[in-house]
Amino acid sequence: MNRFKQILDNHQEYAREWKKRVGGRILGYFDTYLPEELAYAAGMLPVRMMAEREPDMISAKWIYSSCYPVKSLTNQLLLGRYDYLDALVITEGCQWMYNAFEVAMNNKPDLLTHYLFFPDHTDAPTSKDLLVSELKVFRAKLEEWSGRAIADDALDNAIDVYNTNRRLLRKMYELRRMYRSVILGSEAMTVMLASQLMDKAEMNVWLEEYLRELEEREPYDDRIRLMLLGSETWSVDLEELVESLGANIVVDDLDNGASYCWNETVALKDKDMALALRYLGRPHSALKDNNWRRRPQRIFELAEDFAVDGALIAKQIYCHPHGLDNYAIWKLLRERGIPFHYFERDLTLPREETRLRLNSFFSMIRPGLTRLAGWHTPMTI
Amino acid sequence: MTKEYWRWPGSAWASQDADWRRADRITAGVDVGTTSSQAVVLCDGEVYAYASIHTGADFRKAAGAVVEKAIDDTGMRMADIGAVAGTGWGSDHITFAGQILDEVLCHAKGARHIYGREVRTVVDLGGQTTKAILLYDWDRVRDFMMNDKCATGMGRNVEYLCGLLQVPIEEIGELSLSVSEDPEPVSTTCYAFADTETMGLFGRPEYRSDKMTDNEVYASHMFSIAWRVLGVIGRLQPPDVGDVKVCKELGFTGGLAKNPGVTKRIERELGVTALAGRYDPQLAGALGAALLI
Repeated sequence: MNRFKQILDNHQEYAREWKKRVGGRILGYFDTYLPEELAYAAGMLPVRMMAEREPDMISAKWIYSSCYPVKSLTNQLLLGRYDYLDALVITEGCQWMYNAFEVAMNNKPDLLTHYLFFPDHTDAPTSKDLLVSELKVFRAKLEEWSGRAIADDALDNAIDVYNTNRRLLRKMYELRRMYRSVILGSEAMTVMLASQLMDKAEMNVWLEEYLRELEEREPYDDRIRLMLLGSETWSVDLEELVESLGANIVVDDLDNGASYCWNETVALKDKDMALALRYLGRPHSALKDNNWRRRPQRIFELAEDFAVDGALIAKQIYCHPHGLDNYAIWKLLRERGIPFHYFERDLTLPREETRLRLNSFFSMIRPGLTRLAGWHTPMTI
Repeated sequence: MTKEYWRWPGSAWASQDADWRRADRITAGVDVGTTSSQAVVLCDGEVYAYASIHTGADFRKAAGAVVEKAIDDTGMRMADIGAVAGTGWGSDHITFAGQILDEVLCHAKGARHIYGREVRTVVDLGGQTTKAILLYDWDRVRDFMMNDKCATGMGRNVEYLCGLLQVPIEEIGELSLSVSEDPEPVSTTCYAFADTETMGLFGRPEYRSDKMTDNEVYASHMFSIAWRVLGVIGRLQPPDVGDVKVCKELGFTGGLAKNPGVTKRIERELGVTALAGRYDPQLAGALGAALLI
């Protein structure tokens, strides 16, 4: 676990070190709709851009009133923290991220950039063909950047490496699903976020070792089982706070959580179509779910399958996509009798305030299992 | 000394009729909030003494001081109290408490004691948080909502505003109600914005030409606080199908519950009349803790 934690804590370091070690190019991406396999097959390392808690010196000049993760990404890009990036790609998971991408384009002229149009109407009859044509444009751009064609066997290998990674991450979710889990939510999310920063081939070796360790581990005590919903996460401080109070997040429906690894690419002769189907068929982010509203159903099924006692909905302040689908999700949870607690946060987590609200929520749903912080023994007077 | 308009008076009370020495069980609840701290001492389940003070910057000191203030002049010592429960924002600092309880449950329990068994919706208007709590018919929390990462609509905002406007905090609510019609509320998204906007009203032509009064400025701000709180109440799970949005048996707790400029506007918008209580609503958290231990 420690090595995954190190990757997450020093999220810039792995890519820098990889570049030095392998000599390849690094492609930064904003949202999880990027078909990473194509970049990987072109010899590039796709790296997820990670928001960070730090004083924001610059972004306000360029972006007003966006969510804090986007401000942080803009700030880091303009401060040169991502100076090791060779390319930057956006698939427009949300419009704020697109703004950050535009700021980077305007200010970093040497950076190779590409806007990959990903249809919002993921289930529309023409979406597959549209995405395939977009992937062909992206593939041509990658070939131009790398100066070589993407060979079929390289793409097959990339698809295989990524599918293996997804299978291993899904196995980790299976261990979370157990009645008495052997893995905590903070550990699982650390692994999940680290996987978006690492070379997947190396990650798979680490992950296999880690899963073997987990299978040997004694399960944790009975804890309140929770589901985490809402905006993407960038750290595990919420998970750790939940655990300190005697609960455990056993499943999530975050864009960079379970949704990132849930489905595999099914082999087809037409590899672009195979990738298009994989990314169009993945569990969708709030922005891509506006037309069909499939997320509530999926959330209910996850809640049922993972036998959760309740759900936490943590939305980033000014996260519009997740603000817009609150209504449908609240309605579903209420109709199905799944207790939930909703709150807004930014890159910081106000510890005391959150502790108080979580304490109250936990004692509401399963009184007696809550470990209230500060359970003192009486002082002798 | 400059008058501190924001400063609300602390309080303390102890029964002159009851004799704590005859009690079989003495318990105390201590609620250390961000803005104020309360202690309630019960003798055999009945309120024997209480106190309310400003918390200040030192939670630990406030916790001890408020208990001392409650039992001052009663002959009771801390050691005579059989069990102490702590709650509130600073509950971790109540080192002499045997148990720390969650504050939603404490406010719910305290509200039931203050307003009677019929109370089903409790709205805690605290120094830094607003909590809307829905109760079952029995003493269990059915659902609750809290404000997000902003203090608008909270007691601390009113303290700050009164200092800024130089209006005594005990009077601003009543003054704001004296207007014939509420003006548009100021910003409801952030209390710094709301304060700035409120101060800006004094510079508007309507104010300079006497078409807007001081009380209308206060009303505009109190209305914005009420709106903010209504947003929190509105997120509660409706207790029944149909048009029922909030249980009509509503009780306010917390320091801002004593500001009619806020509570009357909430009642008006919800179309309900809040229940009248038998104790100071600011004591609810501490009272609930004392009852639960």
